[in-house]
Amino acid sequence: MTFVHGKNTYISLNGVDLSAFVTTSQIEKTADKHDVTTYGRDDHVYSGGLKDGTVTMSGIYDNGASGPRATIQALIGQTCTLVRRPDGTGSGKAQDSLTVLVEKYVETSPVADMVTWSCDMQKSGAITTTAQ
Amino acid sequence: MILSAVMDEIAGVLAGITGLRVHDHPPATVNPPAGIVSYPDRVEYDQTYGRGMDRIRDLGVVLLTGKATDRSARDTVAGWAKGSGSGSVKATLEGHTWTSCHVLVVTSCTFDVVTIAGVDYLAAIFSLDIAGQGA
Repeated sequence: MTFVHGKNTYISLNGVDLSAFVTTSQIEKTADKHDVTTYGRDDHVYSGGLKDGTVTMSGIYDNGASGPRATIQALIGQTCTLVRRPDGTGSGKAQDSLTVLVEKYVETSPVADMVTWSCDMQKSGAITTTAQ
Repeated sequence: MILSAVMDEIAGVLAGITGLRVHDHPPATVNPPAGIVSYPDRVEYDQTYGRGMDRIRDLGVVLLTGKATDRSARDTVAGWAKGSGSGSVKATLEGHTWTSCHVLVVTSCTFDVVTIAGVDYLAAIFSLDIAGQGA
């Protein structure tokens, strides 16, 4: 077991490697909860429900044909495959693959710094977690 | 992004400003009016995943002209420091299509007096913000 630096993280959307334009990414994995507390209890009791999740990523804008604008804008409102490798690419390293609904793409232009972008996605279906 | 290539390209572009002798690194001797492409405080690696982008936020370029007490020296540095037009350092550098980096922005110009061989020369010091390919 070793600590892992974020700089080698790989992320692709719809088969396009966006890693070189990304500064932050996250997959949030959640589940519904159901309160099944009955009479006579002193504490709430819960049961797990359907799993859910969201994905966000953001970074530095690039105007190339495989940059974030060209890649993501066309996918807004559509589902596609997202692959994220937190340890980077390599045999045996972790990988999450899932279908996402692309919900939002934002470009931000500060006057004294680089143009940045961000993208919000909704998990759709199960996450396939495997070693590469 | 290779620092020496960036410094070479900056010097080459600045050499297009009339009357300016530009050094692509700090030289042993300087004969004003002259330009010196200096070293940055640091190169910032891994600005994006996978060695996508490196950044140099404060590469300095020092331009020296005549005696600090000469009116002509003031007029010369004013021409370099103006934001647009012929002779403007900002317009000259930002109007260039860069090959050693992706983007270069001239963020500020400060002024100082530099003593060379007992003579006080007026200096305009430009700060450059540079971003380029990490790999």
